[in-house]
This record gives sequence, C-alpha cells and structure tokens, in this order.
Amino acid sequence: MIIRVASTRFGELEIEADKVINMPDGMLGFNEQRYILLSSGSGPFCWLQAVDNPDLAFIVVDAKTTVPEFEVKLTADEYRLLGFTGQAETVVLAVVTMASNPLDITINLLGPIVINPYAMTAIQVVLEGSRYSTRHPYFDDSLTKKYQNTELQDENANIGLEKLYAG
Amino acid sequence: MLVLTRKMGEGISIGDTIKIKIVEIKGNQVRLGIEAPVDLRILREEIYAKVQKENRLAADWDLADFRKVIDSFTKGNEDL
Repeated sequence: MIIRVASTRFGELEIEADKVINMPDGMLGFNEQRYILLSSGSGPFCWLQAVDNPDLAFIVVDAKTTVPEFEVKLTADEYRLLGFTGQAETVVLAVVTMASNPLDITINLLGPIVINPYAMTAIQVVLEGSRYSTRHPYFDDSLTKKYQNTELQDENANIGLEKLYAG
Repeated sequence: MLVLTRKMGEGISIGDTIKIKIVEIKGNQVRLGIEAPVDLRILREEIYAKVQKENRLAADWDLADFRKVIDSFTKGNEDL
C-alpha cells in the first residue's frame, strides 16, 4: 500500500506503508508517533521525517558507524516497547544538530534513537550515566579526512540503513 | 504528590523491588542511594529536559543551508 506524506523540505512523498517507523513514545518533546527514514542521496546523513507533520524532520546519522565504540544497553522494558521477540539486532541513529560551521555540527549521543527493523518500531532512549553528551562533535579529525577524501560521500557508509529507507 | 519526611539513613520502598535511602545531606544537596533492578532506567530529571531541548534545536534546520554547509566542507577545504 502506498501512502502520501507531505513534507515542507522534501515535497510530497509517496511511500510504501510498511516503511513507516512507529515511535509510540515519540521523540522527547514531540508528540508525533510515525516517521519515515529518507536517504539524503549521498553521504552518511539521512532524514527522519514525521509522517503526520510536514514541518517536523530531523537530520540523523547511523550512530554505530559514526562512533564505533558507541553502545546502547536497553532495559527489558525498552526491548518490550520495541517489540523484540528474539532477534536483537537494532539500528541506532543519532540526531544531528546543524551549525553554519561544519566543525560545529554535533550529534546527540545521550538520546539516541533505537530502531527494531523487524517490527519497524523505534524509541528515543536517554542514557543516564553514559560518558556521551547531547553535543558530541560530528566531525572529529578522522571523519573530517574521510569525508574530504569522499570515502563517506559515495558509499552510504555501509550503514545497513538501506532497507529502512522509504525514499 | 506524596510527600514524606525522612532522616539521614532512613529510606523508602517502592513496591517490592525499589528502595531509596538518604545517604548524605550536605548543605542544599542530598545524596540518594537507590536499589532497583539493574535494567531499570533511573534518570536525573534534568537529563530528559536536556535531550528535549536538543531535539528542539535539531528540528530547526533548513535544507538549503544544510546542503551549503556540507558542500562547502566536501570541496576539499583542507585547512578546515
């Protein structure tokens, strides 16, 4: 089934209904409960567009690719919310906060988004006691070099998000 | 809201599995000891607010600006 999603930034989208990611608790501070993931076409950035609010979209990156040592431990409750039944493979996204200077772009590692790709369900978890912040610099030295050598621009950075893309 | 008065070393129980104890009182700071199932997420309240605030900031962006910033960065700006 095809559904239409209106978006301020990307225009009118037609997407497969099974690409909708359900967030029963929404993003913290926002009520919207349905999102779609869109490829930006190049590079590691993608968009998380709210299905029911054209204005609401987040820039996101794959957290595990960006910060390989990053780890999210879920509680039993959170596993349940995500609808896990056995397989525990997750996709973890970090929300990007833009800045006019690329070196000031940050990602939020204190509140990552965890997706169960099998149930297409996601939650934003808050990691108390982690050493990560809401403003982790995106471009550290190694990533800057990679990016400028276009390594990250061409491949979708092996992030395994492709199957989640709605468009 | 239930309000209880507790002294140093005293505590409260919530259900069968959660115990909170007053461990230290110093000036206007109170240290709490919390015994709870390991996989229960216990958060300082302001951490939520922090993530909320960052979400709001992150949601406020413009596609043209984003492309401009990223393009300028990838044009081999070696001295950045």
